[in-house]
Amino acid sequence: MPKKLFTPKTIIFVVAVCLFPLLAYGSDRIVDLLYERGLLLPLPSARYILRVVVMACLYMLLALGLNIVPGFTGLLDLGYVGFYLVGGYTAGLLMARLGWSYWIVLPLAAIHGALWGLLRGAPTLRLTGDYFAIVTFGFSELLFRIVKNEEWLIGGPNGFVNDIPAPNLFGLELYKYWQQYYHILILLGLTVIVVHRLQNSRVGRAWAAIREDERAAESMGINLREYKSLAFAVSAAIGAVGGAFFAQFQVNISAGAFEFWESIFILCMVVLGGMGTIKGSVIGAGILGVLGELLRPFGGARYLIFGIILILMMRFRPAGLLSAREQD
Amino acid sequence: MAQFLEQIINGLVLGGIYALIAVGYTMVYGIIQLINFAHGEIFMFGAYFAFLCVTTFGLSFWVALPLSMGMCALMGMLIDFVAYRPLRDAPRLSALITAIGMSLVLQNLARLIWGARWRKFPADATPTLLTGNAIPLPGGAQVSFLDVFIILLAVGLMIGLNRLIHLTKIGKAMRACAQNRIAASLMGIDTNRVITVTFAIGSALGAVAGVMVGLREVTEPAMGYYKGVAAFAAAVLGGIGNITGAMLGGVVLGVAEALGAGYISSEYRLAIAYIIMILVIIFRPSGLLGKSTATRA
Amino acid sequence: MKKSRAFSTVLSVICAVAFFTILSFTLTSCETRNEIKIAVAGPFTGPVAAFGEMIKRGAQLKAKEINAAGGVNGKTLTLVFEDDTGKDKEASLVAERIASNRQILAVVGHFNSSCTLAGKPIYKRAGIVELSPGSTNVRVCVGSDWTFRNLYRDDFQGAFVARYIKNVLGDIQKIAIFFDNDDYGRGLKDGFTSVAEDLGLEIIAAEAYDRDNTDFKAQLTSIKAKNPDLIFLSGLYSQAGLIVSQAREAGITAQLFGADGVDSPDFLTIAGDAAEGTYVSTPFVFELGGPEAQRMAVAFEEMHEVAPDTWAALTYDAVGMIIEAIEKGGENRTAIRDHLASINSPEKGYNGITGLTYFDENGDCTKPAYVKIVKDGQFVPAEGQMLSTE
Repeated sequence: MPKKLFTPKTIIFVVAVCLFPLLAYGSDRIVDLLYERGLLLPLPSARYILRVVVMACLYMLLALGLNIVPGFTGLLDLGYVGFYLVGGYTAGLLMARLGWSYWIVLPLAAIHGALWGLLRGAPTLRLTGDYFAIVTFGFSELLFRIVKNEEWLIGGPNGFVNDIPAPNLFGLELYKYWQQYYHILILLGLTVIVVHRLQNSRVGRAWAAIREDERAAESMGINLREYKSLAFAVSAAIGAVGGAFFAQFQVNISAGAFEFWESIFILCMVVLGGMGTIKGSVIGAGILGVLGELLRPFGGARYLIFGIILILMMRFRPAGLLSAREQD
Repeated sequence: MAQFLEQIINGLVLGGIYALIAVGYTMVYGIIQLINFAHGEIFMFGAYFAFLCVTTFGLSFWVALPLSMGMCALMGMLIDFVAYRPLRDAPRLSALITAIGMSLVLQNLARLIWGARWRKFPADATPTLLTGNAIPLPGGAQVSFLDVFIILLAVGLMIGLNRLIHLTKIGKAMRACAQNRIAASLMGIDTNRVITVTFAIGSALGAVAGVMVGLREVTEPAMGYYKGVAAFAAAVLGGIGNITGAMLGGVVLGVAEALGAGYISSEYRLAIAYIIMILVIIFRPSGLLGKSTATRA
Repeated sequence: MKKSRAFSTVLSVICAVAFFTILSFTLTSCETRNEIKIAVAGPFTGPVAAFGEMIKRGAQLKAKEINAAGGVNGKTLTLVFEDDTGKDKEASLVAERIASNRQILAVVGHFNSSCTLAGKPIYKRAGIVELSPGSTNVRVCVGSDWTFRNLYRDDFQGAFVARYIKNVLGDIQKIAIFFDNDDYGRGLKDGFTSVAEDLGLEIIAAEAYDRDNTDFKAQLTSIKAKNPDLIFLSGLYSQAGLIVSQAREAGITAQLFGADGVDSPDFLTIAGDAAEGTYVSTPFVFELGGPEAQRMAVAFEEMHEVAPDTWAALTYDAVGMIIEAIEKGGENRTAIRDHLASINSPEKGYNGITGLTYFDENGDCTKPAYVKIVKDGQFVPAEGQMLSTE
C-alpha cells in the first residue's frame, strides 16, 4: 500500500513547483533586459502568470473541499460557494473593519465555515440526490442575498468590503505575488494532507460506504448523522479557508465573486478531474482554472469554446480524467 | 384587497411560466435522471425564434408561436442526440457537466449571433387580442389580457400534456420508461425514441414559455438563467420526475415570489421563494408530489 | 507507478499551460515601437456587454480622430481592449495583464464600480493610472493616487435629483424609489433618500429589483397601491425601459424620473411609447454640450451607425484626457498621473464634450448634472435646468 514517495519524477515536480516564481521572475528579468536593448519578446509577465496560477491553486483548494461531499459521500452539492462566501466575508470584515490579524482570522473563518456547514447539514441529513442538491443551492443563494442586501452588516452596497489588508508576518506585508503563491501552496499542501489522512482513515472508509449504499452502511453500524455532518463541516471549513485567502488576495471584494456560477464551476472541476480522488480534483481545477485565461484571445467566443471543451472532455472521459471507481 | 388580488395574478402568471419550463426539466429527469441545465437556454432560443419570425420575416404572431415551438423541439432532439445520448450509461454527474457545457455554448452562441442588447417584442406585431385594455376586477384591481392569456395557455397546455401522458401510446411508453428504463426496453419499447419525444415535448413547452416572456417582458441572451434556475427549483419542489408536481411547484414558487416581493421584501424576492422551497423539502423530503427515491449523485 | 503517471500528467499540463499562455500573448500583441498604447477595460462580453459596446465605440472614435490628426507626439495611438465581463475576479486578472504590460501607459476603465475597485490595488502597486468613465460608487477613488474618474459620484447625483424634484418640479410630495439591487442603484438611492428627506419630500416606498430579472409586476403592484406622485428609477436603462412599460401597463400614472443609468437610446426602444414624459438626469446632454458634442454625435453615428450614449461620450473624453496628459506630461506612467493630479481646479480643467473635468484630492470629479425629458420618442433637454455643482 505505501508507495515510494521520493521517486526522481516527484522530486523534479516538487522542485519545479517550489521554484516556479523564481523561473517566472527570472524570465521577466530577461525580457526586461532585452526590452531595454530594444528587443521586445512577446512573453506574459511573471505577475500575470502568477496571478493566474494563484487563482488556479485557490480553485484546487476549493475543489478539494467540495470533493468531500459529492466525491466521498456521494451527495450532490450545488451550493459550495456559500462557504467560500462565509470565509471571504468573515476574513474581509474582521480584517478591514476591526483590523484583526490574518493569522487569527484564518482559523476563525474555518470554524465559522464549519459551523455553517453543520447548520446546513442538520436539516438535510435525510435528503437524497437532487433534493439535497436544490437545498444546498437555495442555501447558498440565501447567503448571497444576505451579503448583497444587508448593508448594515457588510458596510457597503452589493457586498463591497474595501481595502482588506495583506497578512502581516512579523512586520512583513505579504502582498507580493510570490508571497501569495507560497501562501496558497502551503494552504493547499495542508489541505491535501488533511483530506488524504481523512480519506485513508476509518472516516474515509465510512464515507465511501455511505456513497456506495447508504442503507447498507447504516446497517453495518455507521452513524450516518455523525459521518455526514463531519463531511459537511470539513468541506465547509476548507471552502471558508479558500474564501479567507481570496479576500486578502483580492483586497476589494463584492458579492459578484460569489455567484451560483462559482459553485457550478468548482463542481465541473471535481467531476472533470474524477470524483472522489485528490489528484483528480487538483488536476481538474488546474485545467479549468487556467482554461478561461488561455481562451482569452477568442474574445466573445471564449465561453462558447469553454463549453465545447467541457462537452468533449466528458464525451471522451465520462468518468473524469482520474476516477475513484476506476482506480479501485 | 385589490393589491392582494393583483399580486396573486402576478404570481399565477409567473407560476404558469415556471410550470411550462419546469415540465421540461422534470420529464427529462424522470426518464434519464439528468438535470438538463441547457433547458433554460432552449427557453431563451424559443423567445429569439419568435422574435426573429415577426421582425425579420414579418410573420404573424400566431404563425411564429408554433414555428418557434417546432424549432425548439428540433433543437432539443438535436442536443440530446449530439450531447447526451453518448453519455447514457456514464456516471450521472458527467452528463450534468455536459449539460452545463451545453448551456454555456448556447448562451454564448445567442450572444454572438444577436448581441447582448435587450429586444422588446415590437408593439405592432403583438396580436390585437393581447394588447387590449386591462380587465377590471372587483375591488379596483385590474389584469391585462396578456396575463389572462398566459395563464389560460399554461393551463390548457398542462391539461393537454396530462392527457397525452395518460391517454396515448407514446405517453404510456414514457411512463413505462420513467418507471424502469431497462424493463421498458425489454418490453419492446424503443427507449431512444421515447427519450427523443420527451426532449421534443419539453423543449416545445419551454419555447411557449420563452415566447410568452418575450411578449410580456423582453428577449435577451441571459434570460434562460434566472427563470431556468427558478423553474428547476419548481420541478424539484413539486417532486422531480413528477409532471403534475412540476406544475404545482411552478405555481407555488411563482405565487411565493410575487407575494414575497409584494409584502415581505423585494430585495429577497426569489430568496423568499427558495426559503419556502427549502422548508417544504425538509418536511417532505421528496417534494410535494414526488415518490420517495434513493437516487444519488 | 500510478502516482508518477499522475505527476507527469501534472507536469505536462503545466507545460501546456505555459505554452498556451505564451501563444495567447503572441496572438494579442504585435509590436512596433512607434506607437502609444493605452488600455480600455470594460465589460465587452457578459451580461452588461451593452455598456461595454458603447465604451468601445466611444474609445474607437476618439482614437480614430487622434490618429487622423497626426497621432500622439507623432506616434500612432493603439487601444488595447481588455474584457472584464463585469465581474471583479476577471477584472483583477485583466488589471494585472494591463499593469504588467510595459507598453501600456494608462487605463481607461473599468465600468462597473466593483471592477474598478478590484483593479484599484493592482494599478496602485504597479503605478498606472486608472481613469473610469462609468464607476460612480462613493468609494472608488478613495485611498489610491492612481484612480480617477470623469463623472460624478452616486451621492452627488442622488442629491441633485432630490433637489431638482423639490425646486423645479414643485408639486411632488410622495415619492417611491425603485432601485437596482446593485452598487450603482443602491448608492444612488441612499444619496437620494437622505437629501430628499431633508427637503421634506416623503419617501413612501423603496423597492428593489435584481439586474437579471425581467418581471417587475410584483414590485410595481405594491408601489401602485401606495399611490406615489413620482417614481425614481435608480438603475440601468434596459431594466428601466421595461419597468416604465410595465408600470404604464399596470395602470401607474405617476411621474417617472430616472438617473444617468437610464440615459441611453436603448431605453427609448425598450420602453416604447411608455417612455413619454420621463425625466432623466445625466452628466451631459448632447444638445447643451456645445458644437463639439454635436460634432462628436454626428461622427459617432457615421462610424458606428448608432447614436452615442452617455458612456460613449464619457469614454471619448477619458481617452482624450489621457492623451492630453501624455502630450503635456510625458510618455510614461508617472508623468500621466502627475499631470492628471495637477488638474485640480476649473481653470486647469480638461474641456471635453461632456463639459469641464477637474479632480479633487481623491481623484473624484465635480461636474454639473443636466435633466432631459422624453418628448415624441426623443430625449430633449428639460425646460428647467439647475446647473450648480454644490
